[in-house]
Amino acid sequence: MSPEALGMLMLFLLVFTILIGFPTAFTLMALGVIFGVIGFGSVDIARDLLVQRTYTLMRNDVLVAIPLFLFMGYMIERSGVLDRLFYSLQVVVGPMNGALALATLFTGTIFATATGIVGASVALLGVLALPAMLRARYQPAFASGVVTASGTLGILIPPSVLLILYGFVAGVSVPRLYAGAFLPGLMLSGLYLVYIIGRAYLQPNVAPALAKELRQHVTVPHALWLLLTGFLPIAVLIGAVLASILVGLATPSEAAALGGVAAIGLAAAYRRLTWQNLKESVFLTARTSAMVGWLLVGSGMFASVFARLGGAQLIGDFVVRLGLNEVGFFWLAQAIIFFLGWPLEWTEITIIFLPLFLPLLEPFNIDPLFFGIMTALNQQTSFLSPPVAMSAYYLKGVAPTLLLNQIFRGMYPFLAIQVLAMGVLWLFPALATWLPDVVYGVIGER
Amino acid sequence: MAVKEGEVDRYLFWVDRVSTWTGKAFGWLVVVLAFFVSWDVLARKFFDAPLAWAYDGSYILYGTIFMMAGAYTLARNAHVRGDIFYTNWPVRTQAAVDLLLYLLFFFPGIIFLVWGGIDFAELSWRVQERSTTTSGGPPVYQFKTVLPIAAVFLLAQGVVETIRAALALRSGVWPRRLGDVEETETKLAQQEQL
Repeated sequence: MSPEALGMLMLFLLVFTILIGFPTAFTLMALGVIFGVIGFGSVDIARDLLVQRTYTLMRNDVLVAIPLFLFMGYMIERSGVLDRLFYSLQVVVGPMNGALALATLFTGTIFATATGIVGASVALLGVLALPAMLRARYQPAFASGVVTASGTLGILIPPSVLLILYGFVAGVSVPRLYAGAFLPGLMLSGLYLVYIIGRAYLQPNVAPALAKELRQHVTVPHALWLLLTGFLPIAVLIGAVLASILVGLATPSEAAALGGVAAIGLAAAYRRLTWQNLKESVFLTARTSAMVGWLLVGSGMFASVFARLGGAQLIGDFVVRLGLNEVGFFWLAQAIIFFLGWPLEWTEITIIFLPLFLPLLEPFNIDPLFFGIMTALNQQTSFLSPPVAMSAYYLKGVAPTLLLNQIFRGMYPFLAIQVLAMGVLWLFPALATWLPDVVYGVIGER
Repeated sequence: MAVKEGEVDRYLFWVDRVSTWTGKAFGWLVVVLAFFVSWDVLARKFFDAPLAWAYDGSYILYGTIFMMAGAYTLARNAHVRGDIFYTNWPVRTQAAVDLLLYLLFFFPGIIFLVWGGIDFAELSWRVQERSTTTSGGPPVYQFKTVLPIAAVFLLAQGVVETIRAALALRSGVWPRRLGDVEETETKLAQQEQL
């Protein structure tokens, strides 16, 4: 068998075994080893390659930020900040139409930014904000849509782990990516805001004003106190983490470390720094870091054997033969990413499949930073697109009385907004590229 | 553990426990990492006194955490897997697929990692290798030894998972595994079911 044929067989087996459902990290590693031995005709080369690839990942300084951000997220999640945030914002937005939905959106945006963990954001909002909205006689579908959409913002808005992984596989600086994702993230959140206000204004029965007996009567000083204790600490924490990265005061790892220590402090201030909470945060961080880390190990081995067998070249030639132009290739890649989001998780897509496209960005003259931001926006949609939409299942898990169909129906408008946001980003790429160029200078000019 | 454990179960749980305990113990390094990096930042920015081994120290802690938690993650079945078809299959089909794929696709990679890792670490010990990123960098041979050790833990946990698959294939029921902390969404969903 020619090396290229081996490469193709390797890719086919990969897709097949991933779909069957074997832990992906080990599938990748074993395929790399097996095809390495056959393709190079040497056990030693394959073995040494595996060890070298693994060690390269163990000593990578970009990836250090991953456990630190995860730890910060798990700690913030357990600090009870979400309850306070939601309650203080609820008091501030007052009794107007759709007020609770807006409080949910703001809470979700800030919380998701701070934690970057989709499942927890959706579930916690589902436990707290959803019952509040249902009590206020919101339409269940609309309320579910708001919760699922607000909870998924974290994978796009920095500091997101997705962008660290993308920066790593694409060789783009993570701070640049964070600067690039900032405006598109705000834009998406802003579009949600416009939709919620518009819908509540046009159809008051979907998101009615709070009934008199449900209103919180608080004095102005008390409201300020709530904001000071509920909103300000987390806003300052996450603002400081982001700002220090963006102005170059700290690397992402350094900012994440400081954020993690601050999160411990926040939990302590809220009297939630229990042994149990700390333990859970540590163990979950270890598990998620291992999941990502070993996936990178497996994928690193797979990718280097695949490339040496000429597989990457073959894919490149194939795409060239399709005769696509820049725009065609860009959207073909985005479509593939979108559909991969159905059977796969974003970690797998980013670590395994994106590297197949990345070598083609340069010949097609596509900015890897812009491609990365669009990809992050795109991957967010997979959380909201039925039938797999993980967000719907997280919400259903904590609110079993809701019907899946109701949740799906509520998600569609937000899914449409996400697709709209992708279109806007495509028309105005400066949304992603302007801020990084301002902050860090245009590449090549420095 | 109300259910009476058989001999096999006891062995399986024992390995689960070793993997879990090890993964958790090394997991605490993330707190060390957070304080270590923070300390370095503060010392550098405010006192102009950076830690000498800050750069090497941070990746050494990172690499150790994720490598050593690999077996724990496998014991909790928390490595990412494409599950659209898998979850809907009957237990025996799941078990047959797992058994076959563990034999075909788990052991070749991990055995190579153990075997290659031992040579890799041994060479490093022999030359008492130190990091070259800074002059007088920290020794790295202990860190390189993490690679084969983590692989051995994974290998043991993999044997356990293979036996579990074989048991499930025979009985039609998945043997129990050790539980511990759950993600918030899982925990909240379980509370809701009660």
